Amino acid sequence: MSRILRSLSVASVCLVFVAGLAFVIWEISAVATPVDLPARLAENLERSSVENPVTAVLLNFRSYDTLLEIGVLVIAGIAGISVARTSSLEDPELRTSDELLYALQRWLIPLMLLLAGYLLWAGSDRPGGAFQAGAVLAASGVLMRLGGIPMDFLRPGLMLRLGLSLGFAVFLLVAVASALHGGEFLAYPPEMAKTLIVVIETVLTLSIAMVLLALFVSAPVNNAEEPEEGGS
Amino acid sequence: MTLLLMAGLLFTPLAWAVLTLLAGFRRGRGITWLGIVIQVLVSLALWAVVAGEGGFQYPLGGWQAPLGIELRVDGLAVTFVLLTALVAAASGLHAGFYLDPDKQWHRYFWPLFWFLWAGLNVVWLGNDLFNLYVGLELISLSAVGLVALGGQAEALRAAIRYLMAALLGSLAYLLGVALFYGQFGSLSLSGIAFALSHGSAQGAAGFALILMLFGLALKTALYPMHWWLPPAHGIARSPVSALLSALVVKGSFYIAARLWLELEAPLGSLALAQLLGILGSIAVFWGGWQALRQPKLKQVVAYSSVAQIGYLFLLFPLTWNTTEAVALQAQQAMTLQVISHALAKAAMFLSAGNLILSVGSNRVNALAGVSHFLPFSLFSFGLAGVSLMGLPPTGGFAAKWLFLQASLATGQWWWLVVLVGGGLLSAAYVFRVYRASFVEDSNIDHFFHPARRLEIIPMVLALLSLGLGLIAEPVLSVMALVFANGEGT
Repeated sequence: MSRILRSLSVASVCLVFVAGLAFVIWEISAVATPVDLPARLAENLERSSVENPVTAVLLNFRSYDTLLEIGVLVIAGIAGISVARTSSLEDPELRTSDELLYALQRWLIPLMLLLAGYLLWAGSDRPGGAFQAGAVLAASGVLMRLGGIPMDFLRPGLMLRLGLSLGFAVFLLVAVASALHGGEFLAYPPEMAKTLIVVIETVLTLSIAMVLLALFVSAPVNNAEEPEEGGS
Repeated sequence: MTLLLMAGLLFTPLAWAVLTLLAGFRRGRGITWLGIVIQVLVSLALWAVVAGEGGFQYPLGGWQAPLGIELRVDGLAVTFVLLTALVAAASGLHAGFYLDPDKQWHRYFWPLFWFLWAGLNVVWLGNDLFNLYVGLELISLSAVGLVALGGQAEALRAAIRYLMAALLGSLAYLLGVALFYGQFGSLSLSGIAFALSHGSAQGAAGFALILMLFGLALKTALYPMHWWLPPAHGIARSPVSALLSALVVKGSFYIAARLWLELEAPLGSLALAQLLGILGSIAVFWGGWQALRQPKLKQVVAYSSVAQIGYLFLLFPLTWNTTEAVALQAQQAMTLQVISHALAKAAMFLSAGNLILSVGSNRVNALAGVSHFLPFSLFSFGLAGVSLMGLPPTGGFAAKWLFLQASLATGQWWWLVVLVGGGLLSAAYVFRVYRASFVEDSNIDHFFHPARRLEIIPMVLALLSLGLGLIAEPVLSVMALVFANGEGT
């Protein structure tokens, strides 16, 4: 009885919330916004030196947010590998050796790598970019891992940590170089903006793939004991 | 000059996160010392610049708001930047000696520590709703990572609870941000305030504000949404608990306060303001009562945080629909409460860590006799407790005095009960720890004596929180500084 009551009350709270949200969105759609941001974006798009507005926002107008978001991804990667059972990161027992999967991989992996490269390159003038390319790259890594291809760089050593931080570090270097150059933090010099954006996107793709892959690989949890302070 | 300072402030923690990620624990510690020196100096210099010349806006990448992101560097922001530098430096130094360098997962403490510091600076300086969200995510995720460090089952359980609460809070906030953007077409907080004060339709903004305040209150552990805090703050290593209690919960509160102070006139309501104040008052009593009953020392300190956070929420009823002077008084009280609680709570957690290290048990009853062996740490614990109780001349006293004046000036006498009763409860749980430690129990004779430098750090913090009441005047005069060109559209 009390369970029914509880689920009923939860359902009614959800219903009220959704109704309120729907009403609010209905109201918002009726009024024009006082600031027309898409128009301003279109005016300044040329100065950002990329044609795709999404990439321009992510890597030029609001590059500070993107830099910090990559930081969030790196944190997730660190938190993941810090609780991982170290030996399992490259545990032969967890590998499968399926003939069919292996044969399929030889077709799929090159295609996926190609797709990742295309997505990265497409980001300059149509939807695409580092995040999408990194996700595809990570997915092909997951496939390779499941198919039993050894990936030594995923051992929790310096290589893994370098890979995790590479994209973030390059992005940060560009940011601080522009500050030392006399401009503001993260202001690209206009003549180099395109090159810098391409470089940043490329290393970001690698690091994003690495973070996602590390999280996948390090899923099993530590069984080494770290007792609570004083909890003997 | 200010450009370099800003770049240093934003860049150092992020760069040091990468450097320490690549190094091991011991080398990471050395690198961190250098970083701490730089950060403290930069924060001090920025504080001095703002104190001398007033605040300014800093457009990142040279793009003005609303197209780009502008930071707001005003008195309140630099005050909190400086506070963060002090508390994080103390916790970082303490952690360098407190954590066991031979456990290989402790190397990840340093990068998470630096990311946490970076996220806090993002929040203090943020003036863009989405940028503030990213700052919140930086803070929450690195805090969760720090709690889970080591991956022991109990810590993981607390960390997952913490993660769930933090994510729910972030999503509620983000939904509010999306609604604001839909309504005003801008993410800049001062831009939205400008549009509202110039007769733009309110529409859905009230609903969005409530959503955001709910999310932020959940992340600040306001009663009754505090259930995630005591397990997470209790189980984490002591330097981590100090960072979490002193700084992390203040980040989300700070955003809530900024939102409220900018938008309360058009969007707030008496009911909302009083509701937040009442929940804060219940938190003061409930947290204090629970702290009195906890068997474990660090749980006592963690529940005391729940209580102390409650006072901060008196800001909302005391600034709604009041005169400028009273609102300023309430803001000053809030600022002093944040500073004194941050210093006192960090001191308390660090000295609690020393006490636990010394007696080898985390229970309050096990402290019997520790007063002979660790008087220094126990004294720091007590001094911090004096500030929490709100006795003169501590920062806690100054904060409560200002809250009291603001309550009387607005005729909201009922908050007096909270201010007095909460102080008595704090006294009760601090004395409970003291009583346990003065019990003469000669059966135990194997006390471990932690290094002297571990004892000095909480002592410095406790003395700072004690002396804050004496130097409140200059601190408050800088805090109230805003920049000349008020609106940032």
